[in-house]
Amino acid sequence: MRITIVRRALLASVGTMAMLGGAAQAQDCPIKIGALAPLSAPGTVVGGEAMRDAMMIAEADINAAGGVLGCDIEVIIGDSEGLPERGAAVMERLIAQDGVVAVGGGYHSSVGVAAKDVADARGVPVVFAETWNDTITGDKQKYIFRIAPLSSWASGTIYQFALTLPGIEKVAILTENTDYGIPASEETKRGLGEGGVDSVIFSVDIGTQDYAGIVERIKAEDPDMIITLVTGEAAYNFTQQAADAGIGPMDLPFVTGQDALESGAYWTNVPDGQYAFVQRIGVPESQFTEKGKAFAAAYKEKTGKSDVESYAMEAYDSIAILAQAIGEAGSTDGDAIVAALEAIEHDGTLGKIYFPYGTQKDPSEDGKGDEWWHQWPDPALTMIQYQEEGQSSTDAAIVYPDAYKTADPILVNQ
Amino acid sequence: METPAIFWGVILWMIAWGVLGSILLRRRYFARDLDTTNANFVGAMAGAALGPVGIGALWAKTPELTGRIIVAFALLAVVLIAGAFAFADPKNNCVSNGSFVASQITNGLIIGIIYGFMALGLTLIFSILGVVSFAHGEFYMIGGMLVYYITAVWLPGINPLLAVMGACAIAFLIGALFERLMLTPMYTGKIDRPVEYGILATFGLAFTLQYFVQAIHGASPVKAERFIDFPRIRWPEDSDPLWIRASRGNLELFETISISNPRFVAAVTCILVLLALLYLLHRTWTGKALRAVSQDRDAAAIAGIDPHRMNMLAFALGGMIAALAGALLVQAFSWLPQVGAIPAMRSFVIVVLGGLGSLPGAFVGGILVGLVEAAGTGCIPDAQKAASYIPAYGMIVLTLTLLLRPTGLFGRRFASGAHGQ
Repeated sequence: MRITIVRRALLASVGTMAMLGGAAQAQDCPIKIGALAPLSAPGTVVGGEAMRDAMMIAEADINAAGGVLGCDIEVIIGDSEGLPERGAAVMERLIAQDGVVAVGGGYHSSVGVAAKDVADARGVPVVFAETWNDTITGDKQKYIFRIAPLSSWASGTIYQFALTLPGIEKVAILTENTDYGIPASEETKRGLGEGGVDSVIFSVDIGTQDYAGIVERIKAEDPDMIITLVTGEAAYNFTQQAADAGIGPMDLPFVTGQDALESGAYWTNVPDGQYAFVQRIGVPESQFTEKGKAFAAAYKEKTGKSDVESYAMEAYDSIAILAQAIGEAGSTDGDAIVAALEAIEHDGTLGKIYFPYGTQKDPSEDGKGDEWWHQWPDPALTMIQYQEEGQSSTDAAIVYPDAYKTADPILVNQ
Repeated sequence: METPAIFWGVILWMIAWGVLGSILLRRRYFARDLDTTNANFVGAMAGAALGPVGIGALWAKTPELTGRIIVAFALLAVVLIAGAFAFADPKNNCVSNGSFVASQITNGLIIGIIYGFMALGLTLIFSILGVVSFAHGEFYMIGGMLVYYITAVWLPGINPLLAVMGACAIAFLIGALFERLMLTPMYTGKIDRPVEYGILATFGLAFTLQYFVQAIHGASPVKAERFIDFPRIRWPEDSDPLWIRASRGNLELFETISISNPRFVAAVTCILVLLALLYLLHRTWTGKALRAVSQDRDAAAIAGIDPHRMNMLAFALGGMIAALAGALLVQAFSWLPQVGAIPAMRSFVIVVLGGLGSLPGAFVGGILVGLVEAAGTGCIPDAQKAASYIPAYGMIVLTLTLLLRPTGLFGRRFASGAHGQ
């Protein structure tokens, strides 16, 4: 009941804001917002479907609250298939054919890297939800924003966590040949090296099924820990095949792919996946904002899932923040939306979202790198561990960092 | 690699003499009015393996180029490459770690058997209908999907063997139905370009199956539970190391070679079904009729065989073989509606490598591709690149084979393809 009341209050506030904006300028209705999500292989379909569901909830919530500028919004989702060329083509179609005024979503970094240039060239603002590659914001393009963490930053969480574990002298890193995997693995290797831990990188094509040869090669390296920087069902395949070969999560510290947050699919595909570590964006559900709790309830009701993945929350926020920006801009003009986004303070499911750096203030003024351009600086990054078989990701123990820790990690090799 | 100059020097030496041997030997056999079918291949292998000595010996004696000579020179060339590699990179796992090599060879063999089995279905269809089925990957996909649904959703608790048989039966029916409904215009002269028609029709079937499954199931990956658990075995009890050690999900040979339960079950089943298929093709009237149609449709028709019925049987059987491969691997891999794309592509490579229309060629080609992939993944010194190039390894072997022997390893020299007519 409390969640419903809070949700209604939030919707009402969005609605009021929307109507204020609506007075500013008449619009063609509905206002179309595009969205990228991988809904076919070789993309990460599990993630794409979660994002699609979340963005549909965002559309319903915003419209239930009165829409934006007096209009309903319509979220048009394009299937990127996880392929850069497809992502660029879908972005082109969304803008030129469907007439979207802004774009949210986005899962694969390689898709984001290819699609952002199309949007920027056409002056259509994009808020990327789950694309981590540093160059997405590092190119300092006027119309490109991101609420996902930077790849270098996310990698930092993983290697810093690895360095806290006892007895880790050599790490095997499995990564994918994409704009997410390659820089993330190199950053992880660099960080481990600085901590005195040796590491070896194995890279595979996205969608690889058979890991037998690679698993044998990893075994021959005799690693103390394995880190998986692979998305989608490929991570499921690798984790289970590693477990079959005796180097899985029940044999040594093992960080599996982020799609393991979809715990139903994870346990179906990786029955021997107990004790795996997974990186998660956002705070534990017990520490969700009121908006986060309301979204989690709606999402679970819509999908029948027992937990809510961080990429679903990011996808919701990417649409909601665009809707707020359009309302505050009082226009669907790209430049006006960018100006509104640069000044925005959005109460999202992940927390208060804002962009401290952009055309008004360059990241270099604070000694930051270009990748902080139009980048939300505050997403929480945690490591969770499935300490019980069949556990949901929401119930899984948070083992790093100390600020969010709910349990000590179980180290299977100790 | 410690001394790459040694390795690449040997490779360049082999390429140079191989090219020269290929050209010279073909000219020599042609000039002497001898069979030149294998002259390119043997000349290249002799030049690569023994340089001027090998080419000179063949030039002088011009022996009949039998299978033994072909295999001997090919093996010699492989040994030379392996030797150069061992000298250049003595610390490589493929050189210094015997158990690693044994494991990689076992992995290559097992996955190669499964590759070969799947390619067998494709080549069966081609040998009878003269059409490459672009729906082969989708039959593989529905085989796995059906087993998952039968064992996990529709009839939980059912014996997995029944589920596999059910999936095969459904795939057989889909294949037979499709052939009757869509491919018969190829044989009746109603269309001008039967081959192109057949390819487009199977393309259509591929898209239909894939998107139908995606619409019904969605695109989330699924996986079937292990079909059987291994009994706990430690044999011989007092041996060190144990020769065989089995747990529920894994089999270990000499405490060195590890084979996961799903792969082992899949490979053994493939071998058993292959034997049954060979029996069908060589010992039964239906099998002999199929082979007869693949060799000469008109002569087969005169002998009382209905070629159209054989077309239907071949397409249904080929689809069923792909579905069986999928049905066996759904316990090993995560399964999606798009899961058939890569295996189908690999099957095309294997079928061309083995020789279009050749059943033994498909099986041998599958094992060859499996072994080459395992060698590439295991031996390439740069770990970051070794696994990245998996799809390329088979293509390299295919390209080399086609350069030296355009008919493939076991292909018929003058096979023209009857295209179902």
